[in-house]
Amino acid sequence: MSGARVSSACAAVLRRDLLLAWRRRGDMALPVLYALIVATLFPFALGPEAQLLARIAGGVVLVTVLLAMLLAFDGLFRPDLEDGSLEQLMLAPQPLPLLLAMKIAAHWLTTALPLMVIAPLMAGMYHLPWPAMKVLLLALLIATPLLSLLGAVLVALTAGTRRSGMLLALMLLPLCVPVVIFAAGAVTAAQQGLPWVAPIAWLGAALALALVLAPLACAAALRIALDA
Amino acid sequence: MSLHEFLSMGGYAQYVWPAYALFFVMLIADYLAAGTRRRRVLKELRGRMARQKAREARRRS
Amino acid sequence: MNKLVYWYHKLGSPPTFYRFAGVLRPWCLAIALILAVIGLYGGLYLAPADYQQGDAYRIIFIHVPSAWMSLFIYGVMAVAALVAVVWRMKMAEVIAMQSAPIGAAFTFITLCTGSLWGKPMWGTWWTWDARLTSELVLLFIYLGIIGLFHAFEDRRHGARAACFLILVGVVNLPIVHYSVVWWNTLHQGTTVRIFGKSNITTSMLWPLLVMMFSTKFYYAASLFGRARADLLDLESGKAWVKQIASDEEARS
Repeated sequence: MSGARVSSACAAVLRRDLLLAWRRRGDMALPVLYALIVATLFPFALGPEAQLLARIAGGVVLVTVLLAMLLAFDGLFRPDLEDGSLEQLMLAPQPLPLLLAMKIAAHWLTTALPLMVIAPLMAGMYHLPWPAMKVLLLALLIATPLLSLLGAVLVALTAGTRRSGMLLALMLLPLCVPVVIFAAGAVTAAQQGLPWVAPIAWLGAALALALVLAPLACAAALRIALDA
Repeated sequence: MSLHEFLSMGGYAQYVWPAYALFFVMLIADYLAAGTRRRRVLKELRGRMARQKAREARRRS
Repeated sequence: MNKLVYWYHKLGSPPTFYRFAGVLRPWCLAIALILAVIGLYGGLYLAPADYQQGDAYRIIFIHVPSAWMSLFIYGVMAVAALVAVVWRMKMAEVIAMQSAPIGAAFTFITLCTGSLWGKPMWGTWWTWDARLTSELVLLFIYLGIIGLFHAFEDRRHGARAACFLILVGVVNLPIVHYSVVWWNTLHQGTTVRIFGKSNITTSMLWPLLVMMFSTKFYYAASLFGRARADLLDLESGKAWVKQIASDEEARS
């Protein structure tokens, strides 16, 4: 197996997933719409004082993005499982973790990236000042791929089960607690004028670790869940 | 120490005793669950075995 | 070493484990009950009231052993899950899966008794203290494992997937704990010290240790009971299970 063929297979998987996502553009808009709705509802519940909204802005945006991503996780493997192309992928001679990494990357590009585009809009609605907004975007840029990678492992584990959105949420909660803590911690620190590099660095370290380990774990989980 | 004194737990009875009650209720329920499940499994199995025996008897006759 | 390998294979066989667990279960329960009586006599009656907390601290004798058990059972599950994932051993899957509800029960007890203790001491049922929050996350991990196990049609399939989730949790749990500690210092919340200034004295310590052993034996008894029932379900087509079913019918 030459390196060129592995990379061309990876590119093919990435291209296919992006193309499929593009053909169903409407589905791509749903998480974005959901995030906007949730972000709009909070001020109605809490009142419109700018000070309060600015204080909770980072947390609200982060949790909203997380929930919207959770909503989209079901589409990571299920369509491929239903039309049988996931089994083809598992039988392919190329290493499965690499191919899955490509799938996760495509999923991140199509679900998390649109959310990141509207994140400044949501933060703006909450009057988050610009210096903190920069940190929020940086935190999102690291936290969303991390969540995609962690979520992919769990989605792979539930691949063989009936539709189980609530179960996925329950399983993901313990994994995303540290991510939310560090990402929101960085934004809070930036808002208070404190150094915010440390939590971001921790997130970055976690992302580096997850980039290597999560595709491997995802492949193992998929093999267990589908009993290949 | 009188029984009344013991039960009042220095005024904290309303916290101490519910905690102990919860502890024992949870663990007793947990322990009994195993026995209940065992009996149910065996009952189902006996039902299956009886049905199988009846089917074999019918086939032989 | 040879003997160890022999016992590993011997206990890995369901009928042997079933008989072995059946013999040990009443003994474990009896020891647990005797230790509980001794420990609670020492804790509720002999030990003096704490000079700061009065008698409310007596919740410690069930709260702390439960908290230890919630982690200990997760440790047992982690070892069993590793064996199950690597060697696909059926008994290890059964032990990991049947431990989960017991662990969840102990975690729930820890949270509830902690809350009942917290109300008179800190004036609130719940604070976002690092230890409490980690324990809550642990409960969610337990529930996720149980939920995943039951989500599959095929039981062994579900057990293997849940065992994988247990291993993910092993990596995650320390990360959750340390991140929650960091979060707590960042937000300067109410940091709670259970053993405030009053150092724990011997008269309080020995009932605590006795209760710790009592809960360990209880866990063994409960696990054996659950594993036995589960084995009968799992192997219900096999001859040895049919034998037990008809024997029990004859006796009743």
